[in-house]
Amino acid sequence: MSSQILIDPITRLEGHGRIHIFLNDGGDVDRAYLQIPELRGFERFAQGRRAEDMPQITSRICGVCPMAHHMAGTKALDDLYHVDPPPAAKKVRELVYDAFMVEDHALHFFYLGGPDFVVGPTAPKAERNILGVLGKVGLEVGKEVIGFRKEIRGLISEASGKVIHPVFGLPGGVSKPFTPELRDGFAAGAAHAVEFSRFALQIFRDVVLANPDYVELITSEAYTHRTYYMGLMDEQNRTNFYDGHLRVVDPDGKEFLSFDPKDYLDHVAEHVEPWSYLKFAYLKDIGWKGFTDGPDSGVFAVAPLARLNAADAMSTPLAQEAAEEMFATLGGKPVHHTLATHWARLVEMLNAAERMVELAADPEIASSEVRTIPTETPTVGIGVVEAPRGTLIHHYETDEQGLITQANLIVATQNNAARIALSVDKAAKALVHGPEVDEGLLNEVEMAFRAYDPCFGCATHSLPGEMPLIVEIKGPDGELVREIRRDG
Amino acid sequence: MMEGRPCCLVLGLGNELAGDDAVGLLVAREVRHITDADVEVVESSASGLALIEIFAGYERAIVVDSILTGHDPPGTIREMGMDEVGRVVAPSVHQAGLPELAAVAERLGLTFPTCTRVFAVEVVDPFTLGAPLSAPVAAAIPELTHRVRDLLVCWALQEEPCTTTMR
Repeated sequence: MSSQILIDPITRLEGHGRIHIFLNDGGDVDRAYLQIPELRGFERFAQGRRAEDMPQITSRICGVCPMAHHMAGTKALDDLYHVDPPPAAKKVRELVYDAFMVEDHALHFFYLGGPDFVVGPTAPKAERNILGVLGKVGLEVGKEVIGFRKEIRGLISEASGKVIHPVFGLPGGVSKPFTPELRDGFAAGAAHAVEFSRFALQIFRDVVLANPDYVELITSEAYTHRTYYMGLMDEQNRTNFYDGHLRVVDPDGKEFLSFDPKDYLDHVAEHVEPWSYLKFAYLKDIGWKGFTDGPDSGVFAVAPLARLNAADAMSTPLAQEAAEEMFATLGGKPVHHTLATHWARLVEMLNAAERMVELAADPEIASSEVRTIPTETPTVGIGVVEAPRGTLIHHYETDEQGLITQANLIVATQNNAARIALSVDKAAKALVHGPEVDEGLLNEVEMAFRAYDPCFGCATHSLPGEMPLIVEIKGPDGELVREIRRDG
Repeated sequence: MMEGRPCCLVLGLGNELAGDDAVGLLVAREVRHITDADVEVVESSASGLALIEIFAGYERAIVVDSILTGHDPPGTIREMGMDEVGRVVAPSVHQAGLPELAAVAERLGLTFPTCTRVFAVEVVDPFTLGAPLSAPVAAAIPELTHRVRDLLVCWALQEEPCTTTMR
């Protein structure tokens, strides 16, 4: 019988994953995995509801990325009602969506990636948090982050009703046109966003890239998997978060698939494991070969690094420069190092900010033509966007009255789930030897999945506080030989 | 206190679609009917450091949320002060405890509640979309609402010294 290390949060918390680490008789890691409870019952919940309510309802599934669900749902309704929104409506949607991407990426980098990289993975636990980040980069930066997010969230609220539960997208368009004042507000916010993103990239250069230990960590084998990558692209195979076709590149970076998101079921399938509620998406064209990487395994990744890998180029010039710098520094394209996701996220933040500048300056953006009224009978609707955490697909089928008969969501974390499992297993095998696991080492295992920013189960809030973790190490006969409490 | 701005925040946390997880939001809605202009009632699905923007600017705050410990019967209400809410060491960005939020706010010079009470309700199933509230959790809503209201009244009358729950 093998030993088991269990990191188990005992209270409810958002992202309440458990890491199980099984040791073999020799004391090395036999297998490690992350167990993720997931929200259940979406399909049954959706049945019988009015399809047009879905963008509002699904935005309530997740408190972290409501705008992503709202937008994927809205696009699914366009498809369901066979209606093409006017150009201004598409631009307004994309502009607001890019603002959301900027804001979410900023939150992630400073609050989540920051503790690992700005403060350092081996820094004392007490410093490895947002306070440590502030200590390192300065309080002024902290105020800037909070002020900047407030500005962008204010713009999103003004455009969409609410940040948290947007009432914005409608089948065939948006609920209200941009006023000239709102356009000017977005133009100013966009310029600020570009400056802010460049500033964040400079922090990354100064703090992370200037430290050879960090670069070595990013490129180390423990955090590397040679998988396929997927992302939404424009006609020129450049990044686009709002619309386009899905493109998949192979582990050598060559195009493997390019398809209309409506055909996703032809290319993406889901594998089920008895130990996880979460289904593991894989490429049907390759097949499920287990938790392994390489060209023969259907495991793929989504999210910032995957999008950069899957694109021929970024859609904006400064982001393109930043992406080239990343690829040049990390040994060329594609980059297979999971921890580089943090860097890619900043490149994307700049990309979204520059795209905001372009769209806010578009003469059509304040046009009053923002709605095409649907007239056709609803049938099937599939909508896709790039959520901050990766490709998000909404799929609705309805009766003639537009009542949902079937609904399916594939969220980013599902698309990434197999690669996340690979990451946890590989990091644990490389780092853990025997039951004497210290907290710093566990943090390095956690870093393997934290880079993806997995949104566990879209169950998105937590009691503020009291979220202890417990590590249980069990001996060959199942007896508890060691317990590490991580309740601060 | 800022001019013309409520000094107390009542924050209901949860996901209204996910069964028992809605309890914090439902209590906030009840409380909204019985409070005056000096109290702001907010419902939110956000978490962690994103909450800092909600707390900022208030002197006092009451938080209502669900909790799943498995140690108490469903519907059990735990009331905690800031000092009893543990520090968070958790594996995702979205996680940060009240003490950490308060510390960040202090470092950044933001106004943050100096007095915070948390009501946490033990739940049965916060993971099933479209599920109804479980009976014991639904039954806890009136008592929760009363306790929140009573605390607000105490604060308004200054009967409860804030020092007992100060960070």
